[in-house]
Amino acid sequence: MTTELLSYSIIPLLAALAIPFFGRRSFKLTEILSNVTLLAGLGNLMFIIFNPSNKLHNYETFSFDGFTILMLFTIYLVALSIVFFSTFFKVGDFNKNAFYPLIMISVSAMSSMVLSVDFFSLYIFMEALAVTSFALIACEEKKSGIEAAIKYLLLTFPASALILIGLAIMLFANGSLYFDISMQNASPAVFSALAFIVLGFAIKAGLFPFHFWTPDAYQGAPATVSAYLAGIVTKVSGMYAIIKICTLLKVMGPASFKISSPLMLIGVATLIFGSIAALAQKDFKRMLAFSSISQMGYIVAGAATLNPIGILGAILHLFNHATFKTSLFLNSAAIEKSAGTTNMKKLSGLEKNMPVTSWTSVIAIFSTAGLPPLSGFWSKLLIILALWVAAPKPYAILALIFSIVTLAYFMLLQKNVFFGKPKEELKEVKEASVYMLIPVIVMCLIIVVSGIFFPFVFEFFEKTL
Amino acid sequence: MTYNLFIYLIITIVAITAVMARKMLISAIMLAVASIALSLLMFKFSAPWAALFELSVCAGLITVLFISAVSLVKKEDMALKESRAKFTILPLISGAVFIFMAIFLMPYFESLSGFTRNPEIQPKVGEIIWKFRSADLLGQITILAAAVFVVKSVFYKRSEQ
Repeated sequence: MTTELLSYSIIPLLAALAIPFFGRRSFKLTEILSNVTLLAGLGNLMFIIFNPSNKLHNYETFSFDGFTILMLFTIYLVALSIVFFSTFFKVGDFNKNAFYPLIMISVSAMSSMVLSVDFFSLYIFMEALAVTSFALIACEEKKSGIEAAIKYLLLTFPASALILIGLAIMLFANGSLYFDISMQNASPAVFSALAFIVLGFAIKAGLFPFHFWTPDAYQGAPATVSAYLAGIVTKVSGMYAIIKICTLLKVMGPASFKISSPLMLIGVATLIFGSIAALAQKDFKRMLAFSSISQMGYIVAGAATLNPIGILGAILHLFNHATFKTSLFLNSAAIEKSAGTTNMKKLSGLEKNMPVTSWTSVIAIFSTAGLPPLSGFWSKLLIILALWVAAPKPYAILALIFSIVTLAYFMLLQKNVFFGKPKEELKEVKEASVYMLIPVIVMCLIIVVSGIFFPFVFEFFEKTL
Repeated sequence: MTYNLFIYLIITIVAITAVMARKMLISAIMLAVASIALSLLMFKFSAPWAALFELSVCAGLITVLFISAVSLVKKEDMALKESRAKFTILPLISGAVFIFMAIFLMPYFESLSGFTRNPEIQPKVGEIIWKFRSADLLGQITILAAAVFVVKSVFYKRSEQ
């Protein structure tokens, strides 16, 4: 593991262990401790990224790459928004005593996954993450939550089995599971091992045709947990490893296309399927879930080009997707709390009573659809460019067309939920509290700022990747 | 040979006890004993890494989880009430399998025990943990902590009642 950043995985773990002891004295303390731990981590990461001295020396004093640091930053950012939002989000029978420690452990597991340098450590931390996600989905004492948790467990379990089989074959073939050594010989055994591993991570990431569990898990989970799952957990547990493998595949030379071309096909199929399925949805959260699937398709297609531009586009889209999907899911949580439903047929004209929620949704939606100058535009542009250069031309055209479809279904959502005449029973709906709006506004600011100042973001990755 | 057979016999007996026991706590403890015996066998067959993981994960981690879950189950639910007569066939089958494997499989494993991937590197237990697999130690701690909170969250209604 990258030891210089190890504190990012150890400190949340210690915080998780300390929370139950603080919780006995006062519940407020546990909330403060979780927020402060994540805020401190985020501040520290921002210091590393924005420190002029580090920038001047092109980050040469560190052994990690820009991808690792961006992933850590995303994990802490999303976790902090969710924890901060949950502190002021009081609904129903929600087991918060378990919620905060579980979030902290999953942050620790995700950070360790990002910092690991071999497949076995990656696998161990992925399992820890799966266990915590299962419990987080079941946090609310509702039938749908428990059903979703069981579905999540049963449908992602084959993924773990496939990855383990792949690791066993790779250990037999190479005698090592370290990232840099394990890819060096391009023997058939290594390819079959990689196929198993990639298949496992594709299930974890919810790619088409292995997406069955995602919509149900997101819809059944408590509102804040679905934001957390869609925002970061599925990205780190599935997509991170796929991008990592794609960055390593170049060692194999031309033979690597045996893995990358099927992966690219899966990516394009996923983005088509996700968009079409999202068009047909009647529920806010379910539409967001299918939209997530479709965006995962863009990320995989970009990474599978094995082109530096495509991989950079995939990494940036991973970050951008975390920001805009978290804000959309948090908005859906706010609507669920205020209006009591996420069924789009029952919602209408919320813009008058919830203006901030409505306009933050518009920003997030425009970024998802890839409208300039928002951050989503740049990452999608890079992915489509890479597909045009390094893949069959129809793939790039399909990616472009379905980007427009994304805009179409989200405009439909915006029209049904926020615009139009408000219904009688929704006239008393109130805007979410200021504290609940802060994380969403911060996410939207990041979307706008990282879009406008994209040359600086690009420069950072140019130096560190 | 005798040592291996002895340990193998222990594993068989303990495993049968784990299935046949009426109390869940005894089952959990017997499972741990079986894991410890299995890891001893793995050490003997020159597979210290596998043995170490068997010892720390199966004998340590999983036992902690089982016992913590069992401690949350109400006392009246602990003893199984159904008839166990049909399970008496299990020791018979196990006995037959034991004899078969003692004759054929154990000598085969013994013939393999000289084969290791890196015969010159045979580190001690502590060295394996600290030098080679320190990341997994963190992983185990993470999984253990996760599991404790999962048990706590899943059983929280139960313990409140």
